[in-house]
Amino acid sequence: MAFIPSHAKKHKTDPGEVRLQLTSMMDMFTIILVFLLKTYSVHGQLINPSQDLTLPSSSVQSSPELGLDVTVSYDWILVNNKPVERTRDVLKQEGYIIPALQEELRLYASEAEKMEKKYGTKFSGKVTIQGDKNLPYSILIKVMATCGRSNYPNMRLVVYKREG
Amino acid sequence: MAYRPSKRAKHGFEWIHTNITPMMNLMVVLIPLLLTSAEFVKLGVIQLNLPPAAVGPEGEKLNELPIEDIKRLDLTVTITNKGFFISSSMAVLSGEREGEPTIPLIMAQNDSMVHDYGSLSEKLYEIRKKAENRFPDYDRIIILAEPDIVYQTIVNTMDAARSIKINGKRQSLFPNVLLSAEVR
Repeated sequence: MAFIPSHAKKHKTDPGEVRLQLTSMMDMFTIILVFLLKTYSVHGQLINPSQDLTLPSSSVQSSPELGLDVTVSYDWILVNNKPVERTRDVLKQEGYIIPALQEELRLYASEAEKMEKKYGTKFSGKVTIQGDKNLPYSILIKVMATCGRSNYPNMRLVVYKREG
Repeated sequence: MAYRPSKRAKHGFEWIHTNITPMMNLMVVLIPLLLTSAEFVKLGVIQLNLPPAAVGPEGEKLNELPIEDIKRLDLTVTITNKGFFISSSMAVLSGEREGEPTIPLIMAQNDSMVHDYGSLSEKLYEIRKKAENRFPDYDRIIILAEPDIVYQTIVNTMDAARSIKINGKRQSLFPNVLLSAEVR
């Protein structure tokens, strides 16, 4: 004999309208939204920190600005991500000027000055220096002296912001 | 006699669902938008502006400047492996004994010797209070270091020299930082 479903239980098992439970997902999204709003920056990332160095941390409040990018990593000194001089060799050099770096910086400076004459974009002599936190002072001061002597007197040292 | 509600007239609750689907749509759009413009590492910059005249291509314009007879402070902090030396155009602040650093290293928690930035800030705060309005360069400090002092130490020293936190309030000390080339 075929199975006949009970008439009494027919209405019990009917689930009615099935709704997706979105409330917990909404909670999650709200938290993510608040977090993202907090980390939101108007400018986006002006400076891309290099991969092979750890910047020092500091309690400064000022925000990054655009400028010529000079990176001093363990192996190389780079100007706008183009390797210029080996960091190791700088230690051996006499005096405060790094010739290869100066040549490169002068190239950029003259290029920028040409732009200033042609299009009226102001050449501010801004340079952002990214250095590894374990960089010795002797190398740092040489890089800075070279920048100063190559028409880039406005130096910005890039650091990680520390709270407090 | 007071009116008593009827026991029979019991209405079951109708479960009301808020329609959150449009809100979900909004979230789905907003979250990728904010993710792309989020800044996960906060970068800052320390400004160091050299006077352009002194660092011109020839570097000779400096000599054309008239010699000033105004007394200047020329406050200098020298970072060495033994600690900080504080000096000015007039004198060198000596430490406990002659020839010792003004602020020697202190013992850290892991038994290593580290620079004492807190004491440096306090000492500079004293100097700032005395020097205020008496010298034209009262907000300037020159930082010198031995060649093997690491970058992080210099940045920390700049932080200590820039401002001090007193009773939870941040006070400016010497925001105008200059780096000098050699230890004399």
